[in-house]
Amino acid sequence: MLASPAVRAAPSTLDLLLLPLHRLIWADPHRRARKLLRFAETEADGGRDLARAAELTFDPALRRLYLRHAQDEQRHADLFRRRGRELLSQPGSASKFEANWLAPGERGLDDLRVEKQSDETLLAFLHLSEKAAAGRFVIYRRVLQADPDTRGVFARVLEDEAFHMTYTGKQLARLSPRKHGLRLWQARAGRLWKTYLRLASAVASVFGTVMLGLQYFLLLPAFALVAKRAARREPPGLAPSRPPTPLQSQY
Amino acid sequence: MGGHASQTGSVGRLRILGISAHYHDSAAALLIDGVPVCAVQEERLSRRKNDAAFPLAAIEWCLDFAGVQPEQLDAVVFYEKPMLKFERILTLALRGFPRSWPAFPQAMKNALGGKLWVKGIIASELGVRGDRILFAEHHRSHAAAAFLGAPSRNAAILTADGVGEWATLSMGRGSIAADGTASIELFRELRFPHSLGMLYSTFTAYLGFPVNEGEYKVMGLASYGQPSFAEQVRRIVRRTADGGFALDLDYFEFHEGARRSFSKKFVEVFGAPREPWDPLDPQSAEGAHFADVAASVQLVLEEVLVDLARSLQRETGLDDLCFGGGVALNGCANARILRESGFRNLYVPSAPGDAGCALGAALYADRLHFRRPHRPVPDHPYWGPALEATDLARIALEDGLELEQIPREPDLIACAVDHLCAGRIVGWMQGRTEMGPRALGNRSILAAPHEAAMRDALNRSIKYREEFRPFAPAVPIEQADRFFQLPSGGARLGRFMSGVFPVHREWRSRLAAVTHVDGTARVQTVEASMAPRFHALLEAYGARTGIPVLLNTSFNLAGEPIVNRAVEGYSTFRRSGIDVLIAGETVVRKRRHDLARLEEAIA
Repeated sequence: MLASPAVRAAPSTLDLLLLPLHRLIWADPHRRARKLLRFAETEADGGRDLARAAELTFDPALRRLYLRHAQDEQRHADLFRRRGRELLSQPGSASKFEANWLAPGERGLDDLRVEKQSDETLLAFLHLSEKAAAGRFVIYRRVLQADPDTRGVFARVLEDEAFHMTYTGKQLARLSPRKHGLRLWQARAGRLWKTYLRLASAVASVFGTVMLGLQYFLLLPAFALVAKRAARREPPGLAPSRPPTPLQSQY
Repeated sequence: MGGHASQTGSVGRLRILGISAHYHDSAAALLIDGVPVCAVQEERLSRRKNDAAFPLAAIEWCLDFAGVQPEQLDAVVFYEKPMLKFERILTLALRGFPRSWPAFPQAMKNALGGKLWVKGIIASELGVRGDRILFAEHHRSHAAAAFLGAPSRNAAILTADGVGEWATLSMGRGSIAADGTASIELFRELRFPHSLGMLYSTFTAYLGFPVNEGEYKVMGLASYGQPSFAEQVRRIVRRTADGGFALDLDYFEFHEGARRSFSKKFVEVFGAPREPWDPLDPQSAEGAHFADVAASVQLVLEEVLVDLARSLQRETGLDDLCFGGGVALNGCANARILRESGFRNLYVPSAPGDAGCALGAALYADRLHFRRPHRPVPDHPYWGPALEATDLARIALEDGLELEQIPREPDLIACAVDHLCAGRIVGWMQGRTEMGPRALGNRSILAAPHEAAMRDALNRSIKYREEFRPFAPAVPIEQADRFFQLPSGGARLGRFMSGVFPVHREWRSRLAAVTHVDGTARVQTVEASMAPRFHALLEAYGARTGIPVLLNTSFNLAGEPIVNRAVEGYSTFRRSGIDVLIAGETVVRKRRHDLARLEEAIA
């Protein structure tokens, strides 16, 4: 029924170049465990998105497929969670660094708003997303030679990913026979644009944090002294309620 | 969606929209001439659990339902005072200087990036004039939701939650005069960071559960433990001479906005926190330790609340207590308050948390700002969208499922009873969706309550949740005393599933799926006047089995809000171990082998 995952799921050139880094990231059992547990959350979230898509679509075939896909994601979440918990019981480092930006799970860094998508754009998004995830999972499976159990989990997930890639591609071609290529390019462009937006907002956030941090240390100390003194004067326990203020007031 | 359009649109009617948003569980509620018309949590429409976003979908639904245009609104009331809240955030940052520096930028970005400009957001999103936008204080909104929605004309009021603007707990009284004039007087309050809600949330986080969501789990876990850490908890919740308390802030970090809400000193006392991922088995040594900690904080919370309620009863001399705020969701504490505080009746609204503040703020504005005479609020939780099951039949037929339409209610109920008696799990959707976190018979998963195996099956294959969490029973109010040890006033507290009471010892083995490890259950007492079809179902089940009790849990899967539309019920039914879906008069059953074949054909 399904095409071979090895044929359909190909890792990106970038991931192939970063193979030694992936090997390093996945070497530590505790980090591996936490990553798998994080993946479990991502899969469960993805399953909820797909269930939502099934609730919103008017196409019966798509509804059935989305529901099946949602159940697959839930099963993946269970697989990842179970394996993650097993690994946590093994000795390993306590490092909190998970390198999620470099080695993400199913949806990667994509943010999906199902309500805002048409069936076609959603299928294009899912197709690319599944393809990218399958490529990454191939890499993860490859670097996990020393851990056959976790490798087995990825192998089982990859079987489903192949099905997901196949059905999203087929259904996109069915719904948009002439423009499915265009839809895929639009989805690629959308993902790029979102990546740019995320990057830009991250930079803006860092800038904002620095500016507010400076203000905190430059402007607040004097007020902080006053506030601390006032706090010390406050008696502990119950206080008379603040008298009600007019409802027009925001204070 | 124009079910109530005939009630609206005439000149001179007062239309007030209440809104809660931006912290957790946003909601909207519409009041027309002092009576609620509709209310819904944003999460039920957006399908994002605990959605805190500005509740545009909820507002649009409310207005659409009542046939009201935004410009026809006489007032839009926000459930708290944003500037006062900002003052608290800024003051806490100053008091915590310099330790508050990591949290300060994010707090400012949150506030300045939107939360502070609620008036502008409401004006621009709804197109209403600025002078029609009002702001009720957070705990007054809670107080109004608890008192003005309760069937009482004179009551003491207690509100407790994490924090509003400054107040974390308020005590007062409410009264309705003979001419209908309402008054709410709050005498005293506790102020942030001294907060019962934050205390409980800190332990929730320590026990590895998500804050604002996992508090139920702490309560469930507590039953497995012994309060062996109660003295330690009492030391960090120091009682004050005036009957209040003060948290020892050396044990906490939440007030400084730190990523973690408890301090190193807290960990020294209670041990290493539980990782959220770790499995939790109360039978293991580690699990028993966490259960003991949960039991200890639960005990101290109950002690503080009972003492506060008792002092309030002595001061007011009243029989009725209206309890609001997120802490009022703690059914064990509620039961103790009812038993030990001296109040004869305890009223907890169906949505005592922030979502219910949307209704509370609107009621507060109507009765106390516009000074309109009080009108009794219908005593039910069903304020949300009504079920429209027409699509369900089409979808189920398209998917090749077994479908039956049963228009006669007795036949429908008999069909449901057949399935329940056969040990099947039934998704039950009727009427309008509930306001609040509990499914009270309109968006419920129902099952036979007799075997512990049923509880385990539900936890594993439907709710995907920890095995130590209990399920609730629903029982006709007339027969509640036969199965449960209800104190005086207990049946009323069970109306919205707000109290935890012992199951009579002789029934525990026959109600094993709904009896918690400590022999208690969070009972829903169902009155025919409030939920006639659900009541009839319970009676019919009782006539068949001799036990008119059903396991009633919310119709949702882990991480998802309770279903609203029939199609959402269908999606949940398809993705879980629910055997039968009964939505309105439509009954759908699974045929697993057919489905698998269909999916393969499509692929």
